[in-house]
Amino acid sequence: MAEALAAQSRKTGASGTPPPPGHLLIRRVMVATTVIFLALFIVIPVVNVFAQALSKGVDAYVRVLHVASPPDGARLSPAARRKLAAERGQAEKTWSSIRLTAAIAAIVVPLNIVFGLAAAWSVTKFRFKGRSFLIALIDLPFSVSPVIAGLIFVLLLGRGGVLGAWASNWTWPDPFSLHWRGFAQDWWPLAFTRSFTGIIFTPFAIVLASIFVTFPFVARSLIPLMEAQGSDEEVAALSLGASGWRTFRKVTLPNVKWALLYGVILCTARVFGEFGAVSVVSGHIDSNDTMPLRVEKLWNEYNNQAAFSVASLLAFLAIVTLVVQTIVERQTGKNETRQVEEEGMP
Amino acid sequence: MSIEVRGVNKTFNQFKALDNVSLKVETGELVALLGPSGSGKTTLLRVIAGIEAADPDSGPILFDGRDVSAQEVGKRRIGFVFQHYALFKHMSVFENVAFGLRAKPWRLRPKEAEIRAKVGELLQLVQLQNFAPRYPSQLSGGQRQRIALARALAVEPRVLLLDEPFGALDATVRRELRRWLRKLHRRIHVTTVLVTHDQEEALEVSDRVAVMNEGRIEQFASPEAIYDNPANPFVFGFLGSYNLFHARKTNAGDAVVAGPADATSVTFVRPHDIEIRRDNSDGFGIAARINHIAFAGSSVNVELARIDDEAVVDAALPAQAYKDLGLKPDDQVFIRLRNTRFFDEDYSI
Repeated sequence: MAEALAAQSRKTGASGTPPPPGHLLIRRVMVATTVIFLALFIVIPVVNVFAQALSKGVDAYVRVLHVASPPDGARLSPAARRKLAAERGQAEKTWSSIRLTAAIAAIVVPLNIVFGLAAAWSVTKFRFKGRSFLIALIDLPFSVSPVIAGLIFVLLLGRGGVLGAWASNWTWPDPFSLHWRGFAQDWWPLAFTRSFTGIIFTPFAIVLASIFVTFPFVARSLIPLMEAQGSDEEVAALSLGASGWRTFRKVTLPNVKWALLYGVILCTARVFGEFGAVSVVSGHIDSNDTMPLRVEKLWNEYNNQAAFSVASLLAFLAIVTLVVQTIVERQTGKNETRQVEEEGMP
Repeated sequence: MSIEVRGVNKTFNQFKALDNVSLKVETGELVALLGPSGSGKTTLLRVIAGIEAADPDSGPILFDGRDVSAQEVGKRRIGFVFQHYALFKHMSVFENVAFGLRAKPWRLRPKEAEIRAKVGELLQLVQLQNFAPRYPSQLSGGQRQRIALARALAVEPRVLLLDEPFGALDATVRRELRRWLRKLHRRIHVTTVLVTHDQEEALEVSDRVAVMNEGRIEQFASPEAIYDNPANPFVFGFLGSYNLFHARKTNAGDAVVAGPADATSVTFVRPHDIEIRRDNSDGFGIAARINHIAFAGSSVNVELARIDDEAVVDAALPAQAYKDLGLKPDDQVFIRLRNTRFFDEDYSI
């Protein structure tokens, strides 16, 4: 009987709710409005990005990232040589922006996973004073303009800022400059070749600004689910003698894995695409350019095709994100209906 | 193992969920905590389990005479079963039952073969031996609750605590599982505390029943004693429907039913203890008029109104008696009260 019930509820779930009443004409107008709107504001601009990027052909598109050496023995005029060097320089800057963006994401996303899990856990599994205030605080970056977010850090850590005196004199090694030095000089074989002084106008500031702008994403996608799940399963695990860590690993985490992945995707997409906050704290230094900043610089240098080429990489990333997001959403949807079935069944 | 709580208090933002509660459950006993929602029964169970901490001014919680109030849930060796099962959704039935065994510190953890044997044994006990590879979502509610019970029993708990275990199930499954639980308890004989708001369930399943109201235990006795000798009007009222008469005691000690003028004392009568007669030969009957008759299968529920003060009286009589009397709406009859319970103080429910 239970199987039959489950099958039935699955069937109604699959066929969906009956179409809402309404005039056919109204329905068509609504659908048409939506489609036209989406076409105008999303499809056409995205297609345009790719069209502009490829406007000078595939070779020019590739040249934005990779400038091939001339064949051996070819004789270049001084002008051609200068042009080649300039193009190489531009391509190197573009690569640097891609590396920096990836590195920022590699730092920010894991931190936000930890923060998001901790925040969602504490807010949903415990009742304490100031809980709703904390939830509101988690949402703050959604309501603050990213430029303001960047400015907050400048005013805090910049030369004249509250912590400016300390922050602008602090020297820290660039973790990406770590290299193998060997044992010749010291017993310790690793060394940094570069260091930064100060925080603002360094990649550190970009990391801080990115964290600020993106920290709600993971927490926000976890809170509703964890709220709905309650803490019975955790209590059950604890009563069976499991440790807190084991309970988290074996019970809490598997229950929220799809929502977590969803939050991570949103967070990653935002880290890659963030412009305002990063622009303020980067100081427009070439080595601090992330991909969106690089797009702006190329555009300002009237290098439209190159700007669109880098933009197309971001757009491509967005499309990949969208596809993964759809798959994950379908998965979470499946899990949720399964939960509803469980609750609803005798 | 025996459980004893002495003078336990629990407050949630000024709301007193438990008010100086003391209770002793003997080894191997099955005790039901019965009460309306908000009476503190679930809170008491969670305090015994260690899921909820009692207020600091509370007395101890003793397992076999040893104070466990400072111990965490995981250390108390209890088996807890939830109303909504709380099975681990992403684990198979086998893994659910094995969870407690795998969670043991590695020195005490049984070998894989032992875990297999133990889980098989437990699934046999709950009669679901073929369900090991299934997932909770593929089971019916009753099956899920049995798995939850097997999971709790896997760690060989000293105490089994069941929080409305059949509350989410439909009536037929409920009755079946109730009987099954009784049988299981007779077999494994582990001290069990069961929370329920269903009087029938409490009376049928348990050795003793603690009736709770507003954070206090009103009466703690065997089901028979609770039903036949309720300690106060609340207990009487909670165990089933009833009629209330304003009454006064005569010198002979009998309750005599009078009008609302004597509002200080009350007498309670169950509907099936109201006898309907056509005649009033001995003069003790109360004249009443039949308002409404409703069939309920083996018995017939008759709603009457007293002639003197129009107070409504509910009577339930066997179908045969009803047929013999040939009752019809608007008939005037006489009612007699059997097994009345007289409560002296002015009590409001």
